Amino acid sequence: MDISMLWVNYPYFVAIILFCLGCLCILTQHNLVKKVIGINIMETGIFLFFIAVGNIEGGVAPIYDPTLPEGVLYINPLPSVLVLTGIVVSFSVTAFALAIIVKLYQFYGTVYAPDIMRLR
Amino acid sequence: MFLWDKLPFLLIIIILLLCFVMPFFARWKPVVCPYLTVVTVIIVFVISVVLTFRVAGGEVIHYHAGDWPPPWGIEIFIDELAAMMLLLLTGSCLLIVFYSLKALTKEIPGPAIGWYYTLFLLTLASMMGIVVTNDLFNLYVMVEIVSIGAVGLVVAKGEKLSTEASLRYLMLATLGSGFMLFAIGFLYQVTGNLNMPYVAAELLEVRDQYPFLMWATLSFFTVGLGVKAALFPLHIWLPDAHSSAPSPSSAVLSGLVVKVYIISMLRIYFLVFGIEVFNETFLRSLILLLATMAILGGSLFAFVQLDLKRRLAYSTVAQIGYIFLGMGLGTVWGVTAALLHIIIHALMKICLFMSAGAVYYQTGRKKVIHFSGLGYQMPVTMAAFTIASLSMVGIPFFGGFITKYGLALGSLEANNPYFIVLIVVSGLLNAAYYFPIVWQAYFTSGHDPQMTMDKVPFTMLVPIIITALGIIYMGLFPGRILEFLEQVSIRLLL
Repeated sequence: MDISMLWVNYPYFVAIILFCLGCLCILTQHNLVKKVIGINIMETGIFLFFIAVGNIEGGVAPIYDPTLPEGVLYINPLPSVLVLTGIVVSFSVTAFALAIIVKLYQFYGTVYAPDIMRLR
Repeated sequence: MFLWDKLPFLLIIIILLLCFVMPFFARWKPVVCPYLTVVTVIIVFVISVVLTFRVAGGEVIHYHAGDWPPPWGIEIFIDELAAMMLLLLTGSCLLIVFYSLKALTKEIPGPAIGWYYTLFLLTLASMMGIVVTNDLFNLYVMVEIVSIGAVGLVVAKGEKLSTEASLRYLMLATLGSGFMLFAIGFLYQVTGNLNMPYVAAELLEVRDQYPFLMWATLSFFTVGLGVKAALFPLHIWLPDAHSSAPSPSSAVLSGLVVKVYIISMLRIYFLVFGIEVFNETFLRSLILLLATMAILGGSLFAFVQLDLKRRLAYSTVAQIGYIFLGMGLGTVWGVTAALLHIIIHALMKICLFMSAGAVYYQTGRKKVIHFSGLGYQMPVTMAAFTIASLSMVGIPFFGGFITKYGLALGSLEANNPYFIVLIVVSGLLNAAYYFPIVWQAYFTSGHDPQMTMDKVPFTMLVPIIITALGIIYMGLFPGRILEFLEQVSIRLLL
């Protein structure tokens, strides 16, 4: 494998690093709010991956424009649409998780997971 | 005629529209919410019966959302497998709704009941969506809605334990859907399609070029859907969530929600990737290993639980192991037994959880050791519980025996006769944790052994009786349904 491949495809690496960071954050952080932040980091990584898949170097938005020269590349809008849907989903999950955390805080007076385990 | 063509779409959209309206009723007229739900579920049940008849007549239903043909638009696709699951989902949800009319009043704070039904319908709609969709991204969206709805069903109880369990469930479910979305992204990158048959056709050409990507995609799908379907080491959220939920939700979660993920796993493994990839990679051995661990580990964990619903929840982990075992065997009989177990386990678990809820409704007892004499106080409920337990253990003439028999045949077919030992051992383990409950109920009679009738409402007793009769029917006359499922699995394994 050519080393320059790494440089050309850097968005994919950033996406995978973000994804791993997010997973690590969900699994190892004890603060519940930080876990929710981890979910968001993870999903941002995935969305970046989708955007990187959909992008073409030098492409334009997929709206027909007669002033553009012949043979210009239009970008497929589907990945961006998928990302929009994904953002809505991740937003609602975040809101729901935060609502549950508020409720837990009312019960236990803390958002620190080991304390909640102890108080139970 | 217009409606006739749009039936598959109506099936889901009716419920989603009602979910949109339901919060207003929940706010101003909470009394009507249960009845609205019952009416909707009956309508949906009728629609899915009609669709099943159309599918049974040899028709395979394709519906293109917005009239966009497949490579571009979302396609709804109903074959025999989907029709069977639709019938199972709507039928069991109908029983559970009737059951929850009265059962919820003791388990959920009053103002939350309207919201509970909203979430219930949302879960039902998106479960049906998972079963009928043919589009990978739509699958992801539906999976995410099921997660939110299912977590809502757990948290609706509003107690400390259920709130905590639901947060853990939500975190792990979101982690799982993240993995799944990433895998869908990989597939989209290599194939440029989201429609499953198109992805499968493209994969046939390109899969040899990207061996590592195939590994990554398969393992991401396995982890992502495995977390949600509670495959053994990823099941840690299940016992808390299923045992602390109100009993109608436990029935939905344990009986139906974990199964739809297995259906989509089956589709992805066998229809998208194909049986060759499943055999070439070590995935098959991995699933067999994990299923073995699930069957043994789940049963052992269940054995030490004293709370009845917790015991039932761990038993779900073990029974999911059976389904994965059948899937991992990868032979016609194995997959047939897995599909059959999806149906029979749904019946058994719904029956058991509803009986546990009825016991709680009448006596307020939750621990297994407090069950003595219950067989005389609640004869109908405990009879149904006993039938379901016998079926779980795999006594002949009950439904569970047929799947064990099918799995044994499947393991002979796959040249792996060791699994027969596993099936026998797990049957004994099941007996070790179900029979003490039955024994307690009937033979350690308390102070007053005279017979009285159950004091639970009629709407709670009838669903329990129907599921118990269903188990016996499956055990006595499995012929036609086995034939049908065999056709389905032959088509899956092509």
